[in-house]
Amino acid sequence: MIQPYLQLLKQLLSQLLKLLALISTVRLLLPGWLRRRWRMVVASALLIGIVHICATFAAPALSSGHAYQLLRVKLPLNRMVVLPPQAPARQILPYLPPDVLYAMCRYDLSGGPVAVTAVVADAGWALSLHTPQGGNFYVLPGQQLRRTEVSLLLVPSGPEGALAPRPENPADTAIASPTSEGLIVVRGPLRGLAWAAETEATLRRASCAQVKR
Amino acid sequence: MSLLRKVLLNLAVLVVLALAGGLGTAWYMIEAGSQLSTRTFGPWVTWAAAGRPDADPYTRAHTGRNGLLPLSSTLELTFRAKTDGNGGRLSSACDYAIVMDDFEPAWWGLALFDGQGRLVTNAAERHAFSRSTAMREPDGRTVITLARDARSGNWLPSGRSNRIVLVLTVLDAAWAAGIHNGGAPKSMPEILRTGCR
Repeated sequence: MIQPYLQLLKQLLSQLLKLLALISTVRLLLPGWLRRRWRMVVASALLIGIVHICATFAAPALSSGHAYQLLRVKLPLNRMVVLPPQAPARQILPYLPPDVLYAMCRYDLSGGPVAVTAVVADAGWALSLHTPQGGNFYVLPGQQLRRTEVSLLLVPSGPEGALAPRPENPADTAIASPTSEGLIVVRGPLRGLAWAAETEATLRRASCAQVKR
Repeated sequence: MSLLRKVLLNLAVLVVLALAGGLGTAWYMIEAGSQLSTRTFGPWVTWAAAGRPDADPYTRAHTGRNGLLPLSSTLELTFRAKTDGNGGRLSSACDYAIVMDDFEPAWWGLALFDGQGRLVTNAAERHAFSRSTAMREPDGRTVITLARDARSGNWLPSGRSNRIVLVLTVLDAAWAAGIHNGGAPKSMPEILRTGCR
């Protein structure tokens, strides 16, 4: 009964001895200063790795310039807002394409699901849903010369979502949001000044409203 | 030197090394990117997993730190160029021709920003061109001229900002899928420096 474990232990010890022999050989090949300070070098490398991993994982949380944080103060809750065209004095986010008009809604599902309607009119248009961390968990792109009226119900994920009311129209899609808060973005490309009013009018048809339980 | 002083000195060196090395490498991987998280085509660099909920930690940190709100990279790819085709740093002191030949995604937009992601102020209030707004040459190519002073055709003013960044947004699921499957685009816009003052 105990035989297989003894065998495994024997194999482990043999591998360990081989590793120790390898380390001794490598140490002999190192220059003198490194041979004396090899523990310091190994400890430094390990600590650099630990700090690197911690800094990488902490960076999104510690950053004050997160897109959701920047938009949180500018967008009302559960209401779609058409933003003015991006310009140097009124740029809402860094590197946001200025040749696109945006309608945005900051949603919170803690009070109930959120109903979303929008029109994605052509290629370049898109309806997207984002978590506060910036993850884009749903996107519906526009198709060339095909106007799509979208109607969906945003529900919390997990057991809460299962209890949420079903969409009134069976053709509507229920989307489970991985977080209780997030952003709904409708983007419409500006095809030139002549079409700006039409693009804005289409964006104004987008809506976002809480459905009472 | 007493043993205690030696130990404390070693410990101090260790902490400084760990902080400088760990934070420095993390900053580099988050800001500049590496082959683990980005793909490069000439001067154009894209974060291959941007916007995706399953993005790697470097991409998530890059998106968070820079205040970006990208669509999933399975649909949209955003390329940034900080240099011209020969590797020279883009500068508003120089003029450039951005040539798109056989570049046909469903939708593309090209915009100019400064090094901090702010739109470059200019009297013409022009900051971008897209597939819908750029005029084509008779031979089918699209040429956008990036220059401080007015030019004929598709003129994108480069303003007075010292460091400039070109951002190319491509919205086309099939095109993006080709990149994700390890392929290279058939063609990317070339950035040619035409002169400096």
